[in-house]
Amino acid sequence: MIEQFLVVMVTLVCAPLVGGLLFGIDRKITARMQGRFGPPVIQPFYDFFKLLGKEHIAVSKLQFVWIYGYLVFMIVSLLFLFMKSDFLLLVFLLGFASVSLVLGGFSTKSPYAHFGANRELMQILAYEPILLLLAIGIYAQNGSFLISEIFKQEKPLLFTLWPLFLAVLYVLTIKMRKSPFDIATSHHGHQEIVKGVTTEYSGPYFALFHLAEWYEIILLLGIIALFWTNPLWVGILIALAAFILELFIDNIAARMTVGWMVRLSWSVGLILGILNIAYIYYTKGVS
Amino acid sequence: MAIAILLPVAAGILILAVRNYYARGAVVILTSLILIANSVFFAIKGPFTYTPGGFNWGLLITILDYGILIFYLYIGFSLRNWLVLIFAATQIIPLAYFEFVMKANIQVTPAFVVDHLALVMTLIISIIGSLICIYAIRYMYDHEHHLHLEKSKQSRFLFWLVLFLGAMNGLVFANNLVWLYFFWEVTTLCSFQLISHDRTQEAVHNAARAVWMNSTGGTAFILAIIYLYATQGGSAALSVQNLIGGGIQASVILLPIALLCYTGFTKAAQMPFQSWLLGAMVAPTPVSALLHSSTMVKAGVYLVLRLAPVYAGTYLSIIIAIAGAFTFFATSALAVSQSTGKRVLAYSTIANLGLIIACAGINTPLSIAAAILLIVFHAISKGLLFLCVGTIEHQIWSRDIEDMEGLAAKAPLTTIITAVGILSMFLPPFGMLIGKWIAIEAAYTVPLAAVFFVLASTLTIVFWTKWLGRLLQVLPKIQQPFEKLSPSYSVPLWTLLIGIFVVGIGIGPIYQNFLLAATNNVVSGNQIFALGLNNLILTSASLLQRDILGLFPVWPLYLVLIIALLMPLLLIGLKPTELRQVYMCGEQTGGTDTDEWLAEADKKTRFQLGGYYYQNALGEKRVNPWANTIAILLLAIMIGCGVIVI
Repeated sequence: MIEQFLVVMVTLVCAPLVGGLLFGIDRKITARMQGRFGPPVIQPFYDFFKLLGKEHIAVSKLQFVWIYGYLVFMIVSLLFLFMKSDFLLLVFLLGFASVSLVLGGFSTKSPYAHFGANRELMQILAYEPILLLLAIGIYAQNGSFLISEIFKQEKPLLFTLWPLFLAVLYVLTIKMRKSPFDIATSHHGHQEIVKGVTTEYSGPYFALFHLAEWYEIILLLGIIALFWTNPLWVGILIALAAFILELFIDNIAARMTVGWMVRLSWSVGLILGILNIAYIYYTKGVS
Repeated sequence: MAIAILLPVAAGILILAVRNYYARGAVVILTSLILIANSVFFAIKGPFTYTPGGFNWGLLITILDYGILIFYLYIGFSLRNWLVLIFAATQIIPLAYFEFVMKANIQVTPAFVVDHLALVMTLIISIIGSLICIYAIRYMYDHEHHLHLEKSKQSRFLFWLVLFLGAMNGLVFANNLVWLYFFWEVTTLCSFQLISHDRTQEAVHNAARAVWMNSTGGTAFILAIIYLYATQGGSAALSVQNLIGGGIQASVILLPIALLCYTGFTKAAQMPFQSWLLGAMVAPTPVSALLHSSTMVKAGVYLVLRLAPVYAGTYLSIIIAIAGAFTFFATSALAVSQSTGKRVLAYSTIANLGLIIACAGINTPLSIAAAILLIVFHAISKGLLFLCVGTIEHQIWSRDIEDMEGLAAKAPLTTIITAVGILSMFLPPFGMLIGKWIAIEAAYTVPLAAVFFVLASTLTIVFWTKWLGRLLQVLPKIQQPFEKLSPSYSVPLWTLLIGIFVVGIGIGPIYQNFLLAATNNVVSGNQIFALGLNNLILTSASLLQRDILGLFPVWPLYLVLIIALLMPLLLIGLKPTELRQVYMCGEQTGGTDTDEWLAEADKKTRFQLGGYYYQNALGEKRVNPWANTIAILLLAIMIGCGVIVI
């Protein structure tokens, strides 16, 4: 019980610290790739506290409910990961977090927020099946959706689930809001003037959005680390490598259209996933 | 037993006689209360069998059978609808052959078997169906008021509505296949009368379509009965308990079973039969609510689920799983492209029925449990949602989702209830999601079904979120007090709303005490009376508990529920220092209570937003040809599975 409580506390406190730091590193590296010097690594924290101190201005009261929903459900799904609970339920909860963000966009009568929300919805359509297929892949491999089961396995998931790993990298690009999939709003404001689904958030509420994103990056990298849990440090290294890879992709790609993203994900991503599961099914049989 | 089946008939006739609005309402409410009390009494009493005596019921049922079929012939003639005519003839001729040429003895004892699955069904039918009848009292009054009808047809409408409940109760209790067929036809008849109630050309046309599509199912039903009777020698083969109890080797009777599953598919409006249920949307909303949540389509799923142990382990089972999963996927995609609230709900119903049928086809204890859970949760949520759409319709006189834009400001109470209803369809911690979760877990044995589940469940998120987004879009400063609803509206709405929470939170105990037994009934081929109830449940109960409840991380679900309940409190608790108009590139007019901006030549213009419906990618014209072709192929393979074994 005490151990569980500790895990919860560490998750709540450390995850955003590491997440914010990662975003600082992201900005630094991106700047260097573009031949700029870049802000200090802890710039995200400066931004965060500055936003917190701003006036509470909003365009709709429903907005807060949904931005809190985004934050809280992101934290809950992260807790599911760290407490080694059910992976399938984690994906559903992550889906609800994203739905909250979409509904936040829809709850105002703002054309920009609506564009962003509709695009965010298409992003969910693009990545959610891949994560669910990953859940099924894990089930096929371990006979359970429990993350704790993954930790008990000697052989890393990456060996059998590498096609799904490639597909999950695709998810990572979408969820990190990196080009070519920065459709709903981009992580850095490099290709847009009005910031999509977050257009109508300002001050402290926008700070909450950032906070949720910090939790989210830890969650995503955590999911990638699951591919190599024994020993875990290899998984973490893989996750960090994936993170750096995303930065490269971001800087060499331009934003593509929504339709292209969904088509690519539903063709290449899904085929990778389905073939992967079919392979396990026919080699292992029904467990 | 008499109360469950015959009381609705008697009450219906009484309603026809009563012409006063209040007296009629009182009769409906009284009937509903008795039905609910009776079903709860049954549930407490536990399983039993019953054979009515003292009167030749079999003869009465035969006469009524012909009555219904001749009525179909009549509507076929009067509407010049050849399909109705043909499929009425294909039922009446085999039926006559069966009874006069084969001189069949159709005595089956016990005539009625009430096991745990039937108990679950009758609770759903009696409670949710009754609530919908209560709702209909006021709804039909408003409906006719709006249409400015001179002659009231409310009595007729309520007659068929109440009769429907009796027929459904009979259907789930019946053990004799011939009687089951009779109740099956009565539900088809009720649905024809209710769909065509408004007597517009469209309504009659769509009702006729419902009849002929369901008549193809009826024909398959008759053929299955004749086949069973002829090959298995006599009336013993007509007992449902005997069929599923493993008394007959499955491979021998696979063809009639495939035919019966086909019948279930027609009634559950699975692809390619989805069009009759969509056409049924022209009817007044209580009809849709009844057809979708507790009756009619649930009869189709019930039959497929009931027969699950017979086809377990055969290829038929796998094909049923894939066909159901395909319907789940294709109709979820179609729902994304719909802009009419009721059509979205209809597609979502068909999708969820597909999921339930797929679970029956997967045919493991886990998936059967998922199917039963889904039946319960779906009935409550969908019943609520249809009643919500009806209430919205009587406030804005439109079913179009685009017209519901900003409903949160106009009718806050209805919006909140609708929002909870929508959320309960796809979000944690509500029941539907738990059902889906178990379904995906169970689906691994049929990987193709699992893939369809994954895709469909994502599409589900998309169309529900889109709709919810339209409802909740508000301008900063427009706020209204809660609207007042007639008690005939609000009582069913609140009851179902509370039901969602009670069943969602109490899923653990409800499953263990009640649904587990129903699952056992289905899985074990229901030999409750042959083997002794206690033994069976004890042995497989421990197995199932480990399988299902052991995997429920229950506490995190409660955590999520608490958070979900606390979130709306933020609305009251948070007070921004200022509410402003949205960003419009500096061209907004300034007021927070308008949605005007300065367009060309600084003219004040209201701006409008619309939802996306992706017609080019997912419209009916685009998807239907493909989806129907695949569905027909799957059906052909399904029947083929039965034939090849011979």
